[in-house]
Amino acid sequence: MTAQEVRLCGLLLREHFGEVVEKVGTHLLRSGTQNLRTIIHETGVSLDLVKKSLCVLMQHGACVFSSGRKGPGSPTEYQVTCDRILRILRYPRYIYTAKTLYGDTGELIIEELLQRGHMTMSSTVKTVADRLTQNMEEGHSMDYNEVSAAFSKLVETHFLQRCPPMAVAQTTDKTTPGTPAAPGTPAEAVSTTTPTPESFPDCYKVPDVTLIGRGKRQLSGEDGEDQRNAKKAKLDSEVRTHGDEGIYWQVTFERFHLHFRDQAIINAVASRLDQTSSEIVRTMLRMSEVLTSPTATCTKPLSANEIFRALPTSYNIPRPILDQYLTLLVDDPMEFVGKAGESGGGMYVVNLHKALSNLARATLESVVQERFGSRSARIFRLLLRKRHLEQKQVEDFAMIPAKEAKDMLYTLLSQNLVQLQEIPKTPDYAPSRTFYLYTVNQLPTARMLLQNCYKTVANLIERRLFETKESKRLLEKSQRIEAILASLQASGAEPEQLKEVEEMITAPEKQQLDALRLHVNKLDSAENQVDETIFLLECYIDSTATTTR
Amino acid sequence: MEEVKVKKETNLTDPAEIENRIKELCQQFPHGITDQVIQNDLPHLEPQQRAMAINKLLSLGQLDLLRNSSGLLYRMKDSQSTSKMKGSDNQEKLVYQIIEDAGNKGIWSRDIRFKSNLPLTEINKILKNLESKKLIKAVKSVAASKKKVYMLYNLQPDRSVTGGAWYSDQDFESEFVEVLNQQCFKFLQSKAEVARDSKQSPMVQRNSSFATSHEVWKYICELGISKVDLSMDDIETILNTLIYDGKVEMTIIAAKEGTVGSVDGQMKLYRGVNPVIQPTGLVKTPCGLCPVFDDCQDGGEISPSTCIYMSEWLDF
Repeated sequence: MTAQEVRLCGLLLREHFGEVVEKVGTHLLRSGTQNLRTIIHETGVSLDLVKKSLCVLMQHGACVFSSGRKGPGSPTEYQVTCDRILRILRYPRYIYTAKTLYGDTGELIIEELLQRGHMTMSSTVKTVADRLTQNMEEGHSMDYNEVSAAFSKLVETHFLQRCPPMAVAQTTDKTTPGTPAAPGTPAEAVSTTTPTPESFPDCYKVPDVTLIGRGKRQLSGEDGEDQRNAKKAKLDSEVRTHGDEGIYWQVTFERFHLHFRDQAIINAVASRLDQTSSEIVRTMLRMSEVLTSPTATCTKPLSANEIFRALPTSYNIPRPILDQYLTLLVDDPMEFVGKAGESGGGMYVVNLHKALSNLARATLESVVQERFGSRSARIFRLLLRKRHLEQKQVEDFAMIPAKEAKDMLYTLLSQNLVQLQEIPKTPDYAPSRTFYLYTVNQLPTARMLLQNCYKTVANLIERRLFETKESKRLLEKSQRIEAILASLQASGAEPEQLKEVEEMITAPEKQQLDALRLHVNKLDSAENQVDETIFLLECYIDSTATTTR
Repeated sequence: MEEVKVKKETNLTDPAEIENRIKELCQQFPHGITDQVIQNDLPHLEPQQRAMAINKLLSLGQLDLLRNSSGLLYRMKDSQSTSKMKGSDNQEKLVYQIIEDAGNKGIWSRDIRFKSNLPLTEINKILKNLESKKLIKAVKSVAASKKKVYMLYNLQPDRSVTGGAWYSDQDFESEFVEVLNQQCFKFLQSKAEVARDSKQSPMVQRNSSFATSHEVWKYICELGISKVDLSMDDIETILNTLIYDGKVEMTIIAAKEGTVGSVDGQMKLYRGVNPVIQPTGLVKTPCGLCPVFDDCQDGGEISPSTCIYMSEWLDF
């Protein structure tokens, strides 16, 4: 965990859960595993708040606890996982993906689950159906069955999974307010190694849920809503049981990541070769989705016949053309697709690790290209290709005048994008008798860029917070006016009256607000773009770690 | 044969004849002869006489004495150079010889000093002298612009000295290289486009997007952008820079001997390729390109809140 990661985590926690959780979270990130007493002592936050913060973190799976390291009876210790907090950055992307794959219903299911950490299926379905009904025309409503069908589909495709049972037992305690949190109950604590959800056989099994009814429309007016909520709560707790109490669901981030990874590979093939090739690769990846383990370096071999049968008929690719495309894909120096054998008309695999490595390399090249110009990028690519080169060789191969080449090399060296290897002819390291070889180490460079990405996102968030803080007064004013307008409209006010209220925001103020909105949107989209780079680099680093292990 | 032998034997005593015979032998073997060769050829010659004859030839400057792994070697001196060197003293001859040995790579005056053991002032004088006689010339090396190397007047300097086609007056013509780089890419790109529009099967499409280095060379020659004559090798170095730019890929295929553009039965094929990804997300933000990225801190002199790059980007 680096300083940049901690800073970014802190900002994300502050944005989503407020300052207290940020304080507790970053403290735990910095100091590692700690027990409740130490946390209270070192952060200076009151016991109640610390407990609540830990509950929030645990609800979102960002915090794990274990019995103390000092043997049985010692106080429970808490640990915050940095990775999980960084996922918050990717929420928009998960939600968007769910929308493209499963429509509005899928989008809302994922959104609700992300926002609440984990929920039972019945409550998710109800909330989503209510929200969908809210947006429908008067007189229409969403059937629970439709939503639960979408939910089951998401589970089937492993985008959702059950929370591990032990954690469930613990967290149900916590979500009910008033129950004292974990410290006093070390007996319940799980063994130090947190179980992975996949280790439970029922992980992707949808329970039988009896859910009949339709989404309810919220009544307008705040009083009505409160009443309704109170009533609903009563109904839920007293009258209905749906048969899935205690089974909580969470979003399978890994599954989404696999999807993103496949998407990245498909897009790369599309831009490198053409649309048709990318469709073939898409088909191959879809076929092997269930067969291949998430950490495999390449997919299970697929024969050309199988691929041909699995291709969507709308593409209308004849068999000989498919063979040609496959040969082209294998021949491409990027090696997205490899040939594993000759049987069955040729066995083909998608080289996942190689593809990621190539994509990461392209990312590094792109960073150098944009930041230092295309000539420096030429030198960078040259070094990636030829591994070790002397300065003179770099000049000759890249055809760049000695003076400029030297300048570029030194700049790249000072930014740690290029490394220098000394090879002395004599043991005294005399400069005149030493070879100085320049080289690029892809993995460490990718790691460094990843840190830069974290810092960049943190900067962007910081800036966004700053921008909104600067015009806080203005924002509040516009919100107030909007509220007044809405209430006036509801009570059927005169158009002149409405106009009068609208004019309370002066033209320059309006301009400022528009500018602010533009700025915030720009910063938001930039955050998402940087997250794509982060994703690619993380994937590459993880996959390299698994292959070399 | 008989006659020649008889003739030889009769003339053996005449020192002038011996000298002539040795000279003939030297001409027969331009790489030089050993003592053994002379002995075999003139078996009845006394070692003393032989030595005398050789010494005389050496002193006259008609013969060169060289040493190689197998012993001493005699070689005919260039008749041209001997005539050119007329009227020069031994030192001048020595310097001339050193320069001659350096060939078309040239030699630096400091290296001449080391080899000849003459003082620098003396060498400079001799060099000036030889230059004025148009026996040698000074060439500026591209490797170090202040370093002058000397070589014989009639020699064409080596590529390592002049830098080949890419240098004019010791300056690397980077603009010329860039123009060629762009033209080559344009050629390959248009070829790839034509192939893509042909609507043929994918294999044919790819194969027709390839161009041999010979084709590229011809195209560049016909464009007439280059004042100097470029060789195929020159074009291939340019194409290599395109590979390092990530815009082009190369394959080598076996070609029938004698096909145009094939070297050693191989042909290099180039084709333009598309990039794998668009510029990555990181570099679309100001931070990705920021020159003071490492100095940026919350609340510092440079901070995200007050960053002018960020402000400019947001108002863009």
